[in-house]
Amino acid sequence: MKFEKRMLADLLVVLGLAGFVVWYLLEAWGASGKTENLILILPISVITLVLCALELFQQLRQGVTQEHQNREAVSSVLPVMALFAGYVIALEWLGFDLATVIFVAAFLALQGERRAPWLVGYSVCFGMLVALFFSNMLPYPMPMSLLPTDY
Amino acid sequence: MIDFVAIEQALVLLFSSLTPWLVVVPGILIGLVFGAIPGLQISMAMAIFLPMTLYMDFMQAMLFLTAIFTGGSFGSGVPAILMNIPGTSSAIATAFDGYPMARKGEHNQALGIALGASAFGVLIGYLILFVLIKPISGLVLKLGPAEMFAVILWGMTLIASLRGDYMLKGLIAGFAGLLVGTIGFSEAGVLRGTMGSEYLLDGVPVIPAMMGMFAASELLRLVNTDYLVENEAARKVNMKLLMQGFRQAFRYPVVLLRGSVIGVFIGAVPGVGSSVSNLLSYIETKRRDKNPESFGEGNPKGVVASEAANSTSEAGSMATLLALGIPGGGATAVMLAAFAMHNITGGPQFIREQTDVVYAIIFANFGQVVLLMGLALLFLPILANVVKVPMSYLIPSVLSLAVFGSFGLTGNMSGPITVLVFAVIGWLFRRYNYSVPAAVIGILLGSMAESSLLHSYQISGGELGYILERPITLFILALLFLSLFGSKMMAMLQRRSQQEETTV
Repeated sequence: MKFEKRMLADLLVVLGLAGFVVWYLLEAWGASGKTENLILILPISVITLVLCALELFQQLRQGVTQEHQNREAVSSVLPVMALFAGYVIALEWLGFDLATVIFVAAFLALQGERRAPWLVGYSVCFGMLVALFFSNMLPYPMPMSLLPTDY
Repeated sequence: MIDFVAIEQALVLLFSSLTPWLVVVPGILIGLVFGAIPGLQISMAMAIFLPMTLYMDFMQAMLFLTAIFTGGSFGSGVPAILMNIPGTSSAIATAFDGYPMARKGEHNQALGIALGASAFGVLIGYLILFVLIKPISGLVLKLGPAEMFAVILWGMTLIASLRGDYMLKGLIAGFAGLLVGTIGFSEAGVLRGTMGSEYLLDGVPVIPAMMGMFAASELLRLVNTDYLVENEAARKVNMKLLMQGFRQAFRYPVVLLRGSVIGVFIGAVPGVGSSVSNLLSYIETKRRDKNPESFGEGNPKGVVASEAANSTSEAGSMATLLALGIPGGGATAVMLAAFAMHNITGGPQFIREQTDVVYAIIFANFGQVVLLMGLALLFLPILANVVKVPMSYLIPSVLSLAVFGSFGLTGNMSGPITVLVFAVIGWLFRRYNYSVPAAVIGILLGSMAESSLLHSYQISGGELGYILERPITLFILALLFLSLFGSKMMAMLQRRSQQEETTV
C-alpha cells in the first residue's frame, strides 16, 4: 500500500461516492424498511459499496501513476465554475435576460475579450434574443428583469 | 402477413391528392429545429403543434406528427456531434464518436454519416414494421416487467463496461446513477433522498442532469481551448465532405443492419426503447470490431451504429403505438393524444380494420426519408458553422442555452440548478475517469428499473423461480452474460486449447 498527497483527490472521489451511497441507503431505510421500498436500493447500494472498496484498494495498491502526473491544473476551471454557479443562483433574482447578459459579458471578459463593442454587443444581443425566444416558446412564465413576464 | 388490397388503398390515400404531403416539409423542419436546439424536445415540438392537427384529417395529422418525429430524431444528433449535447437520450451514443470526430475537424463527415445512417434507419425500420407489425406487437405483449428489468440491466451494465481500463469506475458510476434515479417518490408512495426539497419530489430532472453531465461538464473542461476544432484548415464547412460522410455510412452495411434490427425490437419496448437501443447497438459494434480501442476516439462506425438504431427505434415505438395503443415515450404519447382527438384508438382492432391507414403511415415515412435528406443537406451546412465560433463565445452561449432549455423542461428553477450540480459532478467524473454515460443512463433508467423489479416481485410473490418461467428474460440475461464475458471466455478457451496442443 502506497499513499501520496497527489492521490488524495482520487481517493476523496471514491469516498464521496461511497458516502453518498451510505447516506442514501440509510435515508431510504429510515423512510421505510419494507421490501417494496428497498427492493432495488439495498442490493445496488451493497454492490456499489463493494465496488468502491475494491476501487479504493486498487488505487492504494497502484500508488501514483502517470495519469496523476499528467493531470491539468484546476486553477483555470474554478473561476468559470464559480461564474456559472453565480449565474444560476442569480437567475431568479436578476431574471433570465439580465443574468444571461451579465454572465456572457463576464465570461468573455474572463477569457480575455477586451474589445468593448464585441463584449457588450454580443452579450446584450445574445442574452436578449435567447430570452425573448424562450419566453415566447415556453408555456410558463420566466423570471425577467427587462422583458415583460407574468412570473 | 401483408395485405395487398390494403397496400393499394394506402397508396390511393397518400397519392390521390397532394394535401397530406403539404404538412410534411414544415413538420420535418420543426423537428430538425427542435431536435437541434438543446433543451427543446421532440415531444415538446409535437405537443406545441398538436392543436394544429385538429384542423387536419387523421392521415394528415399523422404525417405531420411523424414528420416532426423523423426530423427531430435526426436533429437531436446534430448538437451531440457538434457540442457533445445529445438533444435527447436516444442520441447519447452518437456523441461518443461524433463529438471526437468534430474535434478532429471531421464534423462535416460526422454529420453526413449521421444523416446517412438516420435515413437508412428510418427506411429499414418502417420496412421491418411493414412486414412484421403483427408479430412485433405480439412479441411486445409478451414483455412483462421482468423482461423490462433485464433489458435495463443489460443496457446499464454494458455501458458501464464500455471503457475497459476503468470498468470498476464505470460500474460504480452506473450504479450510483441508478440510485440517483430512484430519488423522490417511489411507486410504493415512499419519499426518499429529497433533503426536504419540493423540487425533488418527482425525482432528479433527468434531461437537465444529462445536459449538465454531458455538455456543461465538457465545456468546463474546454475553457483553455481556443476553438472546438484546433486545426484552422479543418474548420471549413464543406458540402463535398458532408456528402462524402453520407456515402461513408453505407460502407458499413453490417453495422447499419445490426443497428436497425436492435433499434426496431428494443425500440418497441415501451419506455426503454430508443434510450437503450442506441447504446446497445454502439456497444455491440464496438465489441465486434477488430479495433475496439478506436471507439470513443472518433470512429465513424460508432456514429453509424447509434444513428441507425435510434432512427429505427421510431418505427419500433410506432409498432407499439399502432398495434397496442401503448406509447413508448413522450413523442408517441403526443401521437396517442392525436389519435384521441380524431376518435381513433390504437390496438389490434385498429390494425385489423384500418390496415390501409397503417400502411399509409408507413409508406409516408419512406417519402419523409427522401425529404429529410434534402432538407437536412440544406440545413446542416448552416449548423456546422458552430466549429468556427471561438470557444470563449461558444461556452457561455451553450451554457446559457442549456440553462434556458432546462428551465423549459421543468418549468421551475430545479432545471437550471440540476444543470449546475451535474455539471460539477460530470466534470469530476471526467477528470477522475468515471463513466459519464453510465451515470446518465443510470439516472435515466433508475426509477423504471425499480418499478419493473417491484412489479416482477409482486407478480411472482417473491418466488425467484418465476424468472425460470420467463424464456425471454432468460434469453436477455444470457445475452447480457455473453456480451460481458463472451469474448473473455472465448479467449480463455483458445488459450487453453493452445496450451493443450503445446503439451501434446
